Amino acid sequence: MEIPVYSTIRLLLDEGTGLLELNSPPSNAMNLEFFREFGNAVDFISSHEEFRALIICGHGRHYSSGADVPVLLKEIHENAETDKNGKLLNIPDFLSKNYKSFLLLESFSIPVISAIRGVCLGSALELALFSHFRLCGEEAVFGLPEASFNLAPGLGGIYKLCSLSGQAFALERVLKGSTFNSEDALKHGIVDKIVPKRALLPSAYNFARQVMQDFRIEKKGLYVKKYLT
Amino acid sequence: METINKISWEIRNDIGIITLDNPPENYLFQPDFVPLDTLKKWTSYDYLKGIMICGAGKHFSGGGKLENLFRMIREQEDISEKMEKGKAVLEHIENLDIPVIAAIQGICFGGGLEIALASHIRICAENALFAFPEVNQGVIPGLGGTVRSYVKTGFPNAMKLIMSGDMINAEDAQEMHLVDFIVNKHKVFDYSFTFLQKLTRDRPLTVINAVMKALKNARSLSMEEAMKEETRIFCELAVAEATRRNGSR
Repeated sequence: MEIPVYSTIRLLLDEGTGLLELNSPPSNAMNLEFFREFGNAVDFISSHEEFRALIICGHGRHYSSGADVPVLLKEIHENAETDKNGKLLNIPDFLSKNYKSFLLLESFSIPVISAIRGVCLGSALELALFSHFRLCGEEAVFGLPEASFNLAPGLGGIYKLCSLSGQAFALERVLKGSTFNSEDALKHGIVDKIVPKRALLPSAYNFARQVMQDFRIEKKGLYVKKYLT
Repeated sequence: METINKISWEIRNDIGIITLDNPPENYLFQPDFVPLDTLKKWTSYDYLKGIMICGAGKHFSGGGKLENLFRMIREQEDISEKMEKGKAVLEHIENLDIPVIAAIQGICFGGGLEIALASHIRICAENALFAFPEVNQGVIPGLGGTVRSYVKTGFPNAMKLIMSGDMINAEDAQEMHLVDFIVNKHKVFDYSFTFLQKLTRDRPLTVINAVMKALKNARSLSMEEAMKEETRIFCELAVAEATRRNGSR
């Protein structure tokens, strides 16, 4: 098996544990090329049994600052078909592919663990929410700031926040677009564990090795209790 | 201010306020505590950005007087139709595309708790008390309260509330996610009103409506369907925002 080389992602495999590193320094913003490559990487991992667990992280100090909004708006502006009143007729293909790659990721039969440090905003938080487990550093910053750009989360962020933390928390955070810290994320069920920043990746690898043995998503609560508390 | 069946309505700034206005306990006269048509008229003002539901005086609501319902049955009225109307009223509240906050102090029992559960956010005073006392008279909550309490608090908590009829206090209610915030008892109205204003003041209605629709989908659709709709809603906002920034296409 030859692991493909991407320009915005680094994909590695070490003794069964894959590492998908978001790699567009400094803040690993998710541009169109990232989403295209991410879809390809998820397809690649899903069709190779050598991957027995997957860790998703960001290169450097941050997980990711999320989608590049001006670029995204321009692309949608050019690709969305609207009627003469400006009403949307179809979802552009590239956007449908994005949410489908998140759904495919979540449907993996191998454990998917996001290791989050620094900022994790917008689409990046949405990506993390489609991982099976989330570990974070002490000073991570979470948020869905889309509403402050007159937008709303569009890749399942509202759905996931609502089901993980309840409607009141989702409503407040999404409408205000305000950020929250690691402690809040833990309290509201958004991350499973806070670990010291330096120990983040080693902890994720350790956890991956423990869970990959007999991973079943229905047993998520059990793994968290057994290995993360 | 308008009043019907001891329920009053007023608009302050861009927030609508529904007051259960039958003190001291604010008992409700019938399952559709406010007629659906009236509620639709009240909530249709297109500049409204949020709604607060509260009780007049010291209590939110003691719920419906079950004796009234039993009397209606004796007089051979069709109460299932009444119940359907009550459910439609609560569904209308729950499905509004602006946020609805229940500001709760004192007692919040039976039908009162059903109204609170249909709201999107529940803020209560530290002295609030919650219960589904229906079981004491041989019935159960009938306006969706069994379902909504189960979704919010999980099976064991909902079962205990409904089967025992016991009262719980604010702290226990928050612990089981029946309420979202507890505040000082003299501040619940101000806090809730300000909370709604802060939540909505910097947002255009298009964004507020979009977020509320996506949350409704999260409650009612499968994950795949809800995701697809979320992307569609995002896309609609993005087209509008791109047009605003770049001029027309």
